Amino acid sequence: MSDDRFASTVTTTCGYCGVGCRLEAHVRDERVASISPALDGPANEGHTCLKGRFAHQFSRNRERLTTPLLRDERGGELRPASWDEALERIVAELTRIRSAHGPDAIAGLASSRATNEDCYAMQRLMRAAIGTNNIDNCSRVCHSPTSYALRKSFGLSGATGSFADFDHADATILIGANPTEGHPVVGARIKQATLRGMKLVTIDPRRIELADYGVLHLSPRPGTNAAVMLGIAHVVERDGFVDRGFVDARTEGFNALLELLPAYAPDAVEAITGVPAADIEAAAHVYAEAQNACLSWGLGVTEHKYGSEVVQLICNVALMTGKVGRPGSALLPLRGQNNVQGSSDMGALPDTYTAYRSVEDEDVARSFEDAWGVPLSRRKGCTIPQMFDAAVAGDLKAMYIFGEDVAQTDPNTAHVEHALESLDFLVCQDIFETETTRYADVILPASSFLEKSGTFTTAERRVQLVAAAIEPPGEARTDFEIIKAVSRALGHELPWATPADAMDEIAALTPDWAGISHERLGRHGLQWPVAPDGSDAPILYERSFTRPGGRAHFAALPYKAPGDAVDDEFPLILVTGRRLQHYNAGTMTRRTGNVELMDADVLEIHPDDAARLWISDGDRISVRSRMGRIELPAQVTDRIERGHVFTTFHFPETRTNLLVGASADVNTSCPEYKVVAVDVRPIGEQPAKVPALAGGA
Amino acid sequence: MSTLAVTVDGVAVSVPAGATALDAARAAGRWVPTLCFDERQAAFGACRACMVGVEGAPAPLPACTTPCRDGMAIDTEDPAGRRVATAVVELVLSELPEPPAPHTELAQVADALGVGEPRWPGATHAPEPADTRHPYLAFRHELCISCGRCVRACDELQGTFALTATGRGFHANVAAGLDEGFRDSACVACGACADTCPTDAITEVSLLALAGPATTTAGRSA
Repeated sequence: MSDDRFASTVTTTCGYCGVGCRLEAHVRDERVASISPALDGPANEGHTCLKGRFAHQFSRNRERLTTPLLRDERGGELRPASWDEALERIVAELTRIRSAHGPDAIAGLASSRATNEDCYAMQRLMRAAIGTNNIDNCSRVCHSPTSYALRKSFGLSGATGSFADFDHADATILIGANPTEGHPVVGARIKQATLRGMKLVTIDPRRIELADYGVLHLSPRPGTNAAVMLGIAHVVERDGFVDRGFVDARTEGFNALLELLPAYAPDAVEAITGVPAADIEAAAHVYAEAQNACLSWGLGVTEHKYGSEVVQLICNVALMTGKVGRPGSALLPLRGQNNVQGSSDMGALPDTYTAYRSVEDEDVARSFEDAWGVPLSRRKGCTIPQMFDAAVAGDLKAMYIFGEDVAQTDPNTAHVEHALESLDFLVCQDIFETETTRYADVILPASSFLEKSGTFTTAERRVQLVAAAIEPPGEARTDFEIIKAVSRALGHELPWATPADAMDEIAALTPDWAGISHERLGRHGLQWPVAPDGSDAPILYERSFTRPGGRAHFAALPYKAPGDAVDDEFPLILVTGRRLQHYNAGTMTRRTGNVELMDADVLEIHPDDAARLWISDGDRISVRSRMGRIELPAQVTDRIERGHVFTTFHFPETRTNLLVGASADVNTSCPEYKVVAVDVRPIGEQPAKVPALAGGA
Repeated sequence: MSTLAVTVDGVAVSVPAGATALDAARAAGRWVPTLCFDERQAAFGACRACMVGVEGAPAPLPACTTPCRDGMAIDTEDPAGRRVATAVVELVLSELPEPPAPHTELAQVADALGVGEPRWPGATHAPEPADTRHPYLAFRHELCISCGRCVRACDELQGTFALTATGRGFHANVAAGLDEGFRDSACVACGACADTCPTDAITEVSLLALAGPATTTAGRSA
């Protein structure tokens, strides 16, 4: 359709969540005037959400960083600087620190909001130009347990199918995810599937919107997902739903699981989880009786002390019933950010090169040494939490943080701030000043997804093109150009003119990406692994699993209690999450009209708890955990179960993550954002009648 | 899946069982005017702009809801069908207070059918201030042609059921919730309604200034 209101229209991929909606960005007067959905987008099929369609004005917000900023001394004032001056300062400091303390005194973070090519460039910079494996990305704090578990159980770190599998499923169990808010286009897809008759079971401590469309909603106590999945497995086995042919031919380790299951009879699971035994039985029957069924989960599964184990227990249920590797029977993790999948695929991880190949693997390391012409470290680097610990301990001296606001989004904010203060030198590369840039010595002005080219990899493993609709503002540059310039200044040239050249290098060095090139991706992208001839893989494991012997692995893992628990002092459990109108740290959405629809974080609390605590809807309240205390308004709602409260971390003034402690997934150190014992109480308008402290104000 | 052999304006095409005459015409690369049709939604068959001739049928049939039969011969330029389509579009235009903006689907269909200034005098919808109570979505109720696409987009694509058809006859229109505006309705601001609207009766607030001489104030007069 011709539309002369716009000067140009560019088809690109959304930079919000991991669904991967294809968008048409319409440009007028060098700004994005409107965004509409691409009718042929594989994941969105002509649909988008509030964020993807409307929340683009941030790209021309007047607070955008448009020039490099420097602090002449730690804690001093920021002043504008030229790119040359900023680069000189970075090279001088990083070179000094590397000479004095070695390359492992420096760490970098790539961004799950950036492109594959940006993340690949960033990990090459850290590995080749600095000489350390201290590189990680923000998937550490969301879906690293999913990645770990899928590799353990099936072999590859990605969804086994596509969102289109929901359209072909007779049933779906959705665990710890609220897609109508967090992944709205998939949420709409699941809702339509239920309206056509798909049986949906939702498992979440909150009564999410989709619960109203399902056949069954389970509200387990936070941190007890493992018991729920073991209970479902118990009923599947007890009632004869095990697909023996599939188990015998394509899996290993089933007997070890069988030994574990007798302890998880529905009554026992009810005692642990609070979910009625009959509901555990019903959920197992809905899934097992379906011809085809999907399992889908979000951060409510992963952001726990045993998150990576629960994902393996979810995989068990699919393996027992043989519901994997065919249309309509898929395991579909809902990845948080637009490129959580890709940033990890690209090797922006402390222990792996591209496609999760270990830095300790001699052949793999050699292939990269040959390509890059430098010796590479065989020693695993630090994960994000380990980096902060090392900074506080004085072992880590410098960080280069690209596209991530750790001081707002990572747990245990006080510890993160202590770490950032402890560094000798911090470089931040971002589009706005953030809580983290307050500690930066150099801030590099970068670009949003509307201003860059490259690729994102969606939660369906689909690598899709990103195309620049507008130019970065002022002197801001694309992240790809910035990382190239920093690497060159450090003495290691990244030999690519364009992101397409970088992708060619990725394809040459990564067997699973061998057939990918920007030209081949076209309008619809490709789902990895992609063979050299360009054929991709919408469905994984149709014939064999990508593990030794081609067999999937049953994990025999018992339920273990979460890292935090209620007691008399902290009687409620806080769960944190995301809302429809905003996106994670809110850096982008808070600078759009979305704030008119929601302008503050609120604490959801059940009416019974609210009445007991003398809290009314809208009251300002205090929330205190073992780690810290915040204040915010209350929202009284029966969407949340008794004994639980819920909030978000979209607004920096709330500082929600002050409350979250150091408890983390045992295998991947993904923080336990979902189980925090708290004390909630109203803040009276009158000053509290407490004795003044001696000599106090 | 079985396929059906169909001819469209003499061109042979093969379509899957269950395809409609409109699907066949599009597969053959032939244009059929539509107003209430959106490929993302189930066919509605309300507007009668897509009337085509079908060999053996006594009168033109709506292409969007007519299933193909094996051997069916479709004439997209059937004179009777075109006469109906042209009259439908002209009648729709005759109720509008101003010609549709050139980028809208209605304007493009009218243009392709050669419908100019409507010949039907009579009542037109009174221009009213755009309802811009929502930060992104605006109503311009006087441009609504009651095609129902926004209501179905909200139901079938998003699944939020925030929009509803209101009024009867000349006063037929759409409303969010009980006409309390997008913001106070169940609307989740996905924008599917604005995306499908063929006339800009629902559009983006930021595009109002580009779409015509609309002035904006808060709210729709009751």
